This record gives sequence, C-alpha cells and structure tokens, in this order.
Amino acid sequence: MSDAKISSGLSRRMFMTASVSAAAVMPLVNSPTRAAQPASAKPAEPRDLSAVSMRINKQTYNLALDNRTSLLDALRDHVGLTGTKKGCDHGQCGACTVLIDGKRVLSCLSFAVMNQGREITTVEGLASADGDLHPVQQAFVDHDAFQCGYCTPGQIMSAIGCINEGHAGSEDDIREYMSGNLCRCAAYPNIVAAIVQARDETRRA
Amino acid sequence: MNQAAPAPRENQGDPVVRIDARLKVTGQAGYPADIVTANVAYGALATSSIARGKVSELHTKDANAVPGVLDIVTYGDLDKTDMPKFGNTGASSIGPLHDKTVFHDGQIIALVVAETFEAAEEAAMLVRADYEDERPSASFDSKGVKMEPAAGKSPMFKEDAKAGDFDAAWADATVKIDEKYSTPTQHHNPIELFSTTAIWQGDQLTIHEPSQNVTGWKVELARQLKLDPANVRIVSPYIGGAFGSKGPMTARTAIVAVAARRIGRPVRCVVNRMQAFGTQTYRAETRHRIRMGAGKDGRITAFGHEAWEVTSRPDPYVVGGTSATARMYDYGSVLTHVSLVHADRNTPGYMRSPPETPYVYALENAMDEMAVALGMDPVEFRRINEPEKEPIGGKPFSSRSLIKCYDQASEAFGWSKRDPRVGSMRDGDWLVGMGCATAIYPTAAAPCAARVRLTADGEVRVQCGSHEIGTGVRTIAGQMAAERLGVGMDKISVEMGDSALPPAPVSGGSISTASVCSAVMKACDAIREKLFAAAAGKGAPLAGSANAKLDLKDEEVVTETGKSAKLADVFKAMQVGAIEEYAEFAPKGSSPEALRKLYAGQSEFHGGENDEDSVKYAFGAEFVEVRINSYTREIRVPRMVGAFAAGRIMNTRTARSQLIGGMIWGIGQALHEATEIDQRHARYVNRDLQDYLVPVNADIKQVDVILVPEIDHQVNPAGVKGLGELGNVGTAAAVASAVYHATGKRIRDLPIRIDDLIG
Repeated sequence: MSDAKISSGLSRRMFMTASVSAAAVMPLVNSPTRAAQPASAKPAEPRDLSAVSMRINKQTYNLALDNRTSLLDALRDHVGLTGTKKGCDHGQCGACTVLIDGKRVLSCLSFAVMNQGREITTVEGLASADGDLHPVQQAFVDHDAFQCGYCTPGQIMSAIGCINEGHAGSEDDIREYMSGNLCRCAAYPNIVAAIVQARDETRRA
Repeated sequence: MNQAAPAPRENQGDPVVRIDARLKVTGQAGYPADIVTANVAYGALATSSIARGKVSELHTKDANAVPGVLDIVTYGDLDKTDMPKFGNTGASSIGPLHDKTVFHDGQIIALVVAETFEAAEEAAMLVRADYEDERPSASFDSKGVKMEPAAGKSPMFKEDAKAGDFDAAWADATVKIDEKYSTPTQHHNPIELFSTTAIWQGDQLTIHEPSQNVTGWKVELARQLKLDPANVRIVSPYIGGAFGSKGPMTARTAIVAVAARRIGRPVRCVVNRMQAFGTQTYRAETRHRIRMGAGKDGRITAFGHEAWEVTSRPDPYVVGGTSATARMYDYGSVLTHVSLVHADRNTPGYMRSPPETPYVYALENAMDEMAVALGMDPVEFRRINEPEKEPIGGKPFSSRSLIKCYDQASEAFGWSKRDPRVGSMRDGDWLVGMGCATAIYPTAAAPCAARVRLTADGEVRVQCGSHEIGTGVRTIAGQMAAERLGVGMDKISVEMGDSALPPAPVSGGSISTASVCSAVMKACDAIREKLFAAAAGKGAPLAGSANAKLDLKDEEVVTETGKSAKLADVFKAMQVGAIEEYAEFAPKGSSPEALRKLYAGQSEFHGGENDEDSVKYAFGAEFVEVRINSYTREIRVPRMVGAFAAGRIMNTRTARSQLIGGMIWGIGQALHEATEIDQRHARYVNRDLQDYLVPVNADIKQVDVILVPEIDHQVNPAGVKGLGELGNVGTAAAVASAVYHATGKRIRDLPIRIDDLIG
C-alpha cells in the first residue's frame, strides 16, 4: 500500500481504520498459537487491543497492542528498543528496516499483530554478548559509513539482508539493492565500501 | 588504511574513528525521541488547509470523542505565554495558536494529546476548521506579493556590495553575459523526524528535542513560557541530521511544553514527515540576473548580481549571498542588489550553505558561460581572475588556496583529457560532459565555553554544549583534548548537546570545529600550565625545567631533553586527584558583551568578510563528469573530484566524509531536489520522501576528496576553517557546466531533469 495513492486529508492510519483492520487481524486467526486470539467472537474493532506474541532478538515478548500499532512503534514505544528508527512512517526511507524471519522488512509498514510468532531481529540483537560487533557493524565503523548515525540501524539491517540475499555481488548491485535506505548525510560511497568488506568477511567465515 | 581514512598531510590530524561510532552502529545512541519516558502521552499536530485568511471556528468535538484523547491545545491556550520571535534563535514571529490569522498552508491549528500515538493521530485528523480564506500569493509571480530591498532588513545583511563604476565598465566591456538563473524551494529532510518531548518536574522543564542550539533555545523557550532560564533544560545529545533545520526553534516547542503542563504528564510529539514541510524552515526559491563583462584577455571588468528571494509575510529572512559572490574574483567593478519577496508562506531558514548554494550556483554558471564566450578554458579563466585582495573592501584574504585546489583536483580528475568542443566526447550511447566550479564558504567563529577535567589516572572528560549533528565535532573535541593532554582517545569522554553544559554557539555557519576546538584548547592549556608549574616546581619530579619547554605525551610530562615524569606522580606531588578547567573563548574582534551574550543564548559570529584585518574564506574546486543517455536523456554522475583547503584539518576521516556528503548534496541540488508548490493554494505538493527526491545510493558512484594542506594562523587559535558547508557550494554549477559540455544545452533553472534535455 502506497501512501501516495491515498488522497490528501486521509492519513494512513485513518485509511487503515477504514479498510485494512480486517486484514490486519488475519494472521491472528491463522496463528498456531491460539491463545493470541481475541476472547470475543465478534470481529475486532480497529482500536481494540490484540494479544500478540513474538520473538525479538531471541527473547519472547507478549504484548497487548492497538491493532493499528506498527511493528516499528511496537518496538520503540512498547518494547523499549529504540535502535530502530522512524524517518517517514511511509516505507520511503528505510530507517526502520528490521529482519523478520531473516528477511529485511520495513517495520513501519508491518502491523505488529501481523507478526504473531515471528522472529524479529533489530540492530540491538546483532552484537554478541562479549561485545564483538557483527561484521557489518564493524565494517560500518571501519569505513565511516555514517555521519549523524540516524539511518545507520536501518542501513545495517538492510545490508545484512542484502548480503544474505546474494545481492552484494558487485558494487553496482549493492548500490541498487541498498537504494531503499536513504542517507541524508550521504555516506553512500562509505556504505558501499563497508558492505564489500562485510560481504568478503562473511564469505570467509 | 582504507579510503575513509586518508593519510594526513601537513597540518592535518589523524583519521581517528568517531568516538561514538560503536553507539551508532549498535542502536545505543539516544536521539531525543528515543529517550524512554514513563507515563508519556503522545501529541499529534493538526494543521491549516488554507494559506491565507483566518480560522473562524475550530471543531474539536469529533476529535475529543476518540477514546484515549486527553487534551486538545488550541487558540487561547497559549495566551499566558509570549509570542515567538523571529531572529537568531526563533524560526518565525508567527505564533500559530496566539492568533487565528493564517500566514501559510500547514500552519499549526491544534495539538491533540492522547494516551497512544494511534489515538492522537486519529483525533488530529478529526480536528476541522472553518476559515475566512483569502487568495494566497504563492511565490515570485503571484499577484499580491510584496517586494522590498533586502539591505538593512536583517542584521545578517546590512548592505548591497558594490565597487567601482559598474555602469561604465559594463558599457565598455568587449564580451558580455547577461543571463537569468533560478534555484527551487528545498527542504532539509533530515532522516530524523522533528520531535519535542516535554517533561515538567515542578517548575523545572526538560525538553528533549533535536537542536543545533540548546543554549539559545533554553533562553528563548524560557522567555516564551515566562520562566527563569535556569529552570529550562534542552537535551539533544545526538541529532539525526540537521543541515540547518534544527537551528531555529519553532513554535511547536512551547506548544508541547504547555500541553505537558496542562495534563500533568510528559508529552512527546513526533511531527510526521508531511507536516514538517510547513511547520519547519526550508530553503526558499531564488532568482538571479548576472551581468558579466570581460575584455578579450579574459579579465572580468564588470560584475553585476541582482537577486530575489522569497520569504514569509511577517519575517524578513534573507540570505544575501552577494556578499560572497562579490568577493570571489578580481572584478574590475561590482554592482549587486538583493530583493525580498514576501509571500503567503512559512518563514524560510538556513539550509546547508544558505547564501552560497544558490548564489554561487548562479555566479559559477555565468563563469562557465563567459569562458565559453571567450573561447577560454574554464580553469584558466578562473586563474586569470584570481584576486590579490577582495574587491569590495580591498582587504587581503587570510589565506586563499583556490588555485592549488584547481591544480590538484584537475590533475586527479584528468581535466587535460577533456575535449572542449560541445558534444565531442561520447562513450557508446552516452554523451559525456565535464565541468568544474569553485566552492567558497566564509570562515567564522563565535564565543564558546568548555570544561575539561584530567584525573591522575589520565582520564579526560570534555564538556561543551555544542551539538553532534553528524559532523564529528564530539570526536574532534576529544582529539584536541587528547593531543593537548597527551592521552589516548580511549581515555577521553565528551559530553555535548545539553544546555546544562558550558554554553556553545549555534551549530551553524560551519563554526563549530573552530569555536569548540579553540575553547577546548584553552581549557587544556590551562591544565597544562598547572601541571607544568607543579612538575617543574621545587622538589618536583622535573624541578628546574622551564614551563615553556614542557609537553604532555603518553600520560607523562616530558622535557625537551628527554626527561619525563608520570602524570600520576605529578598529581601526587600536587596532592590533587583531578584538575578541572573552565575556559571561555572569544574570537578576535569580539564585542565586550560577546561572552555575556553567549550565556544569553546569542551567538556573535566573527570572520568572513566582517573582520578588519582580512577576509576569511575556505575554498575548493570541484570537477564533475556527467553521462547523458543519447536516447532517454537519463543523467548520471559517474565521478566527481573535489579539492578543498580549509586551514587545519582536525580529522581527515570526518573531514572527508563531510565533504563527500556535501558534494552529494550538490548532486541533489543539481538533479533531484525541489519542493513543488501548488500556485493556486500556496501549498507544498511533494511532501514526503517518495516525491521529494534526494540522491539514493544508486545515484552515486565515485566521489573523491583531496584535502589540500593549508596553514592559516589568522582565522582562530585552532587554525581551523569550517568545511561542513563548503562541499555543496559550486557542485550544482559544475554539473550544469558538464551538462552543457555534453549536450550544448545551458540549463539555468535547477534542478536539471530529463525533460529539460529532450528536444
């Protein structure tokens, strides 16, 4: 769903209350963990809270969330993991990129309730407990692949996705497959160099 | 070493890794909207849907009925506060909730506060207004705009620069250029959204908001809310991109603070991307007419630069870049004039190199046109017009390495391989074009305070209320302390972005490195004095050594002759555990009140063209290759080379990154960025990151930066010229020149898009 297609004056969230909420609770109905279903048989109202359970950075969270709550807002405002950033809330900047079951996803365009039972990885889940940085994080440090650092968590998660997908074969590929992540400080050449380094290290590992 | 860490040349500091790099790659850097706050309520703005008129009635019933809504702050609710002021600290004099007058589209009409973000957004959409609307004037060509001379309307722009007899020189010139140029409306669009979190504890107010001016905001917010500034604190330790947008405080900050006081809870308002276009500042559109006359020898005899800038109805915001263009070359005569055009728009504000980006774009385009008219190489044409002294006041440059920049950049770029004939260079289906342009940015500094503490264990804490907007100033301040105190970077911690710290000036005008480093240096030098006096004192480890000959290295006091004493032993001799020094730096020529004004949140800039002894500028030369598809007219920029001389470079890593970022901003200005305006409604149309185009990774290929060594002791004690805004000056003109070289089409109105090159 692209916000640009919604006429002005009707926000994304209004639009959702009007038409998407039914779809939003679908995963709950199909969910293997039946405990997450609303107690009542009547269809959920947009403003209702739904129970949702997901694994975030290898830890289980049981949450009661407004059906309209995005995964991004759930992470930031309800779980307290603020490493994932909001830059547009419209799926246009990539700052909110997380991994869902290993694939990169824009968390602002994913309702939290759609992620029942899923495995979410955020930037906070990358560095190991002993303090070693993930190869992509280390490469971003080595190549100064950021300035203000705000888009960085999204860039890093997206870079991991890009390498895993096999889209980091050439520098041109990296540029293309990282173009959903805007960097207004424009550290792009450094981001490409960092991903090349991380890709090579990941391959050697 | 990789490309990100250039080997330092003369007068350049090590490419030290950013002190906050680990925090930034692990998601631990706390930007203002990240601060976890108990019991926080969420705010959402409702904004006007007309650009001119009055709100006759506001309807909040439906909004109030949304479950979870706690309060709606609107007209009347700010009556006990003072109106915002336009000026150094305040973005605009428009107090949107003080007065039902609507000055621009997207003006705040209410703030809804609710238990959840979702409820706040839903309710804000249900706030409706009835208006007595009038036909708005959108921009230059609209009926009803008011035009006035800019000179004297703002303390930033006192007079139009002129020199010699332009009219006579213009009449006599052998070769003449008389052309018009324009630059569009642009919005900063930092990726971090604008936000305010207000927390009251009794009479004490803490604001978490991304800010480039925490001390200024503290004082201004206290004024608006009628509080003692000592009871207001602005906290902004990490800023997610600013580019000027977070320099002036907007009306929202006080509104959110009022809301938090009314409901007795913290309130967080994160402004959505769309609403930011109307509630924050922006770079206004500009128009230029340049008349340039030259002799056959290539010497410019007449330079005329007239310009027009858009601003809001009430505020005379002016950038007036003629102050730089009039001093760029050795013109025989200069005539400039800047006009302000008041329209029904929000007040513009500074955006990365505010005067230079649009004005130098026009000048450098004209320079390329004149070089073509003269049949002269564009680099040679600039060399011929290199001045001994600036033409307006006849003052010398404190240093000027422009020609060195041209030499080094043109060699690295391979300019000599350029065939000057238009359309002569081709690679398959791609037309190749090459262009160049000059970058210039005034070097200034402002009063700044810093506190530095050194412990017997060699731990150093630097405190300064400056702002880490991505420039690396936190790292550089730490580097300065590490160097002066002879400890490793692992021993350094740097606190910034908090109005409770020693005050620093606004982080604008590329003054931070010079101002902060000069203050930190002064504090460190006071610590050195104390240590040296103790180390050389009677019975002390280095008794008898002259203070002046001592230094600090590797946590030791060392003498010229190789004797040394451990820091811990010197502290032991002094019988203290830590030395802490508070220092105030004021640039040469500061007024007697400059330091007092620092604490009052006012930054007194010195430098640029305003000093008595010399004019102070940093320079650069940028070379760009463009490729234009001969069938589709798609424009690509496969490579750019920029050489820059900016005095002492504190850290080659952060300097290079900033300059790369600036040059890429220049590509954005040349080819992408423009806020489109609905002329009927004076409304921004492309209010999001999908339709407001900025460069993405795939738009950028090779970007090379050369840091040209330069030593300048006149600029400030640190010898530093700022370079955060230098990189994106001139770039767009270099691109435009390259497009001309490839296609023969001279595009004078930015941005240059495919449709400009069809037909």
